[in-house]
Amino acid sequence: MPGARTSRWLIAVPMALLALATVYPLVFTANAAMKTRRDYILDRFALADTLRWDNISTAWTTAGTARYFFNSVLVVAGAVALLLLFGSMAGFALSHLRFRGSRALLLGCLAALFVPFQVIMVPLVRTMADTGLVDTYPGLILAYTAQFLPFTIYLMTSYYSAIPAEIVDAARIDGNTPYGVYRRIMLPIGRPALLSVGVLNALFCWNDVLIALLMMPSAEHRTLMVGVTSLRGQYTADIPTFASGVLIAAVPVLAVYLFFQRRIADAVTAGSTKG
Amino acid sequence: MSAERLAPFVLIAPAVLVIVLFRLWPLLLGVNFSFTGDGDRNGAAVGLDNYTELFADPLFLGALRNVGWLVLLLPVAVAIPGMLATFIYLRVPGHRLYRSVYFFPAVLSPVIVGSIFNLLLSFDGPLNSVLDVVGIEPVDWLGDSKVALFTVVGVHVWATFGMALVVFLSGFATLDPALLDAARSDGAALPQVIRHVIIPGLSRTIQFVFVTTMIGMLTSMFGLIYVMTSGGPGGSTYLPEYYIWIQQGQMNRPAFASAASTVLFLVMLVVGLAQVSFLRRTGKED
Repeated sequence: MPGARTSRWLIAVPMALLALATVYPLVFTANAAMKTRRDYILDRFALADTLRWDNISTAWTTAGTARYFFNSVLVVAGAVALLLLFGSMAGFALSHLRFRGSRALLLGCLAALFVPFQVIMVPLVRTMADTGLVDTYPGLILAYTAQFLPFTIYLMTSYYSAIPAEIVDAARIDGNTPYGVYRRIMLPIGRPALLSVGVLNALFCWNDVLIALLMMPSAEHRTLMVGVTSLRGQYTADIPTFASGVLIAAVPVLAVYLFFQRRIADAVTAGSTKG
Repeated sequence: MSAERLAPFVLIAPAVLVIVLFRLWPLLLGVNFSFTGDGDRNGAAVGLDNYTELFADPLFLGALRNVGWLVLLLPVAVAIPGMLATFIYLRVPGHRLYRSVYFFPAVLSPVIVGSIFNLLLSFDGPLNSVLDVVGIEPVDWLGDSKVALFTVVGVHVWATFGMALVVFLSGFATLDPALLDAARSDGAALPQVIRHVIIPGLSRTIQFVFVTTMIGMLTSMFGLIYVMTSGGPGGSTYLPEYYIWIQQGQMNRPAFASAASTVLFLVMLVVGLAQVSFLRRTGKED
């Protein structure tokens, strides 16, 4: 192609600008969090002169972010543990154990994948309220588990399906029960998939706001994302403190992203190449 | 041996229990629920009353109209990551870096994204002050009812295009490079390569991105709306999911909200099926 070199650079410039636009909003927020209120009002764009942690500590203590952070960690850990346990058990059963109705179950699971949360949220909250689970940690953990389980089962089933049946058969001949095969073979073999799915589910749960809003009405049970939305009303005139709260909520996600980038992208695309 | 036979059922029981109890059962319950009344008429059968009220509510109709806008904007939301993925696949300078940079907002919560853009887009905010320097009149991004919906959709696209981009790139990985080389040695220009090699080769991926982007637009903008506009100004940024939440959480009208949920479900079903059949048909023509 004549002129291919120049045209590639012509494309590269807007793409670099777009990359800048992708990163800059968070840089702006981090910078605002390091400024005093006065500095922010005088010049929003100038780089903070020093790393100032006062706003972060105000957001962490006075604004109650610490409490919200703890709530989020607890709920996310509980939900991810249940998701991985139930998802891997079901994935193993659906991929390697033959039983009556297994195909129908897999189809039902896929159907559940396409029922959006908005459609079931009203009756779900009612069911949760009837069973006394609203405004409790187990209630929110169960709500997240129910929300992301179909996806988790789908990914685990397709991962386990690629494992040859001979491995399972050999373990059975060695005298393992199906439970033994699950514990000694499937869990260790499934580790890469469990890690990817676990990271992705942790992100989903950590980032959610709608389910948490509905399930946790009381202030002391707020998750971090709900907490951040309430900060906005509290600190309208104090942007640096508000920005600090946003930063506290974003940093764990950034850390996870930097460590697990490939795994997250792989898990996201896993659904697209099949079917 | 009965313990052996039982094993698959034991292994699958917790998952089935959770899904049936907290996903499928509420779906049935909700449809049923939408034919009953709220408040004084709690539990009483009211026939289609909720639905007639729903379709007489300008806020709900506005929410449906906004869904129409989303459907119209969908090709843009798919084309942007598609183009970018093409350039990355063709190894534009810096392509390795772009892949991870572009994907990064996709992992951020809508709450965080919305909060950040609240700061950037406020009327006296940084973006308008930059525009002022260039000599452009300030825009009330979130306060003007003609602009606000497009602002929120724009932010949503900013936050999620990386997701579709990664899906496109994994589709490119399955594309036969020989086809591309052949087209190039025949002297095909980039637009032709896209039209005759890339689009037909990726029809399945494009279909997948269309459907998932639509689902994303219809079901994951709640956080942005909640944080950025609260449905305003003047109800102009209502989407069905936000409407349902208001009726359930603020107005305490669960049965009425269930009717709105049922309508949303039907809308998504229709949009989804229409898309799949439309894309199938265009796929065959190529």
